[in-house]
Amino acid sequence: MAAAITALYLAYLLAPILLLAVGSVGAAWSNTLLPTGGLTDRWYLQVWTDRSFGLAFWTSLQVAAATVVLCAVLGAPLAYAVASAASRGVRLAARIVYLLPVAAPPIVLAFGLMLVFSSDALPYLGETWVLVGGHVVLCLPYLLQALVADMRHMNLPALEQAAESLGGGFRRRFTDIVLPALRHSLLTGSVMVAALSIGEFQLSNLVAGFLNRTYPVVLLQAFYGATGFACAATVVLLALALLAAATGAVAARGAAGAKAMAG
Amino acid sequence: MSIAVEALSYAWPGSAAGVRGIDLSIAQGEMVAVIGPSGCGKSTLLKLIGGFLAPDAGRVKLGGRDATALPPRRRDLGIVFQAYALFPHMTALQNVAWPLSLRGVARAERSRRAAAMLERVGLSAHAGHRPAALSGGQQQRVALARAMVFGPKALLLDEPLSALDAALRVAMRDEIRRLQQDSGIATLHITHDQEEALSIADRVAVMREGRILQCAAPRDLYARPATRSVAGFVGHANLWDATVLDARTLRTPIGLLAADAAGFAPGSAVAALVRPERVRPGPAPDGVNHFAGRVARDRFLGSFRRLDLAVAGGTVVLETASDTSPEAVHIPQEAVQVLPAD
Repeated sequence: MAAAITALYLAYLLAPILLLAVGSVGAAWSNTLLPTGGLTDRWYLQVWTDRSFGLAFWTSLQVAAATVVLCAVLGAPLAYAVASAASRGVRLAARIVYLLPVAAPPIVLAFGLMLVFSSDALPYLGETWVLVGGHVVLCLPYLLQALVADMRHMNLPALEQAAESLGGGFRRRFTDIVLPALRHSLLTGSVMVAALSIGEFQLSNLVAGFLNRTYPVVLLQAFYGATGFACAATVVLLALALLAAATGAVAARGAAGAKAMAG
Repeated sequence: MSIAVEALSYAWPGSAAGVRGIDLSIAQGEMVAVIGPSGCGKSTLLKLIGGFLAPDAGRVKLGGRDATALPPRRRDLGIVFQAYALFPHMTALQNVAWPLSLRGVARAERSRRAAAMLERVGLSAHAGHRPAALSGGQQQRVALARAMVFGPKALLLDEPLSALDAALRVAMRDEIRRLQQDSGIATLHITHDQEEALSIADRVAVMREGRILQCAAPRDLYARPATRSVAGFVGHANLWDATVLDARTLRTPIGLLAADAAGFAPGSAVAALVRPERVRPGPAPDGVNHFAGRVARDRFLGSFRRLDLAVAGGTVVLETASDTSPEAVHIPQEAVQVLPAD
């Protein structure tokens, strides 16, 4: 029973992706279950040679990389502050506040950013850093959630108390104990952040400038053209998301692993 | 170095729990165990000495110097925590070497000293393992080695054996005692296990409701408890509420009891204490403190049995090596201790 449900779920999950892959190498595809006309590589070549897709590809990578780095730099100390807050009330309030961006639709944040950054005082709408800022706000809760849960699981306050009794000041405790002990959740959280940032559409569509549109924003245009082209462009997005996730994972491991070796 | 606390008080915010007016000193090389029921304040006392709590009043002195205002990391105390709190991402050796790294010991030297310390706790073979790959007893040894490797002024043990199974607990407590005596370090040992406290400590302090009721050598604590609470908490005991009739007689629920009650005014309420091993099976030759009854419970405990004898008005607990079940017992007059009723 469980196996059947799992199989059904996997089929539901993987079938569209498989169809995309099939469609991306099919010569023609309209009103049939599967593409017709044999195999072709022209859709990929078209995506490759399309300048707007190439630009969007790089923009997405840059935005995702900046988002991962900023989230890690902000998230680790923030999660630490939340987890080590003495009072339960403070911890609860902090959780509610940092989880707010998950509850609020991204489009709300996007409108807010549009209003603020299209004013005469702050005419920065369309700048890449505004986009990165928006992605950080949207993605940070997921990283924080992973970090705080991990801190609670490993009883970080007890580890810190032990470290302090052994003579560890705040800085050494943070670099030698807290960060390395959190490397796994930092890693998984960063992967999640990278994947979310790469796939983000709602906010990016409204906030990105014409020259720094991210890949999903440009991808939407593809669906007005040939099906094969749209499929190929989507497969590239999937590859991009996987690449970003892998890069995020490696970066997080490198940062924490270097510290873990000191001892 | 020594540990001393003077008139130490702390109240947990919004509760009556805490410690009140604790005076306690532990000399260099001495081990003092603090026992008491949960919530008696023994863990609070350790947190105050460790510096994790600031007292409302009183002082903490380490090696004769006032340390009340020092943060934990400046107190130079080796603390073994109940849950060990080993660093999960470091090997046993790295855990033990970390306090040395903090003190600026060069890499080669700290590896050597950490390895030597692991050798002392018998864990050389597991130096390269992470805590998750170690058993409870092995983690305990790493925690102990980590707490002692930097030559702390004193050792604080916070129920270090409570997570271990019974057989290992007995072996580890002897091991802790050996290490403590070898290094001649002042040690405060918090435990709820009175057998553990009595068997390894030089002195035992009994705490209740935030106060130390009595602090004495294990033998004295058992033989001459200061109050009814101490008598009830340490070892097995027959304890009866009693009224002093005259200097040689008490009235108890099981009848009149001949005892030395000099020093207590006739009519005053006291407690009569008789240790089970002092109760003699069989009728009294002179008829003094003779109680007839029947065995209500018989516990086989290896080399002896502990019996509950139901007598008129109550129960007499006795320990005997004999296989026969007595129908009467007697209590030598000198076996009865009269304690103030608290």
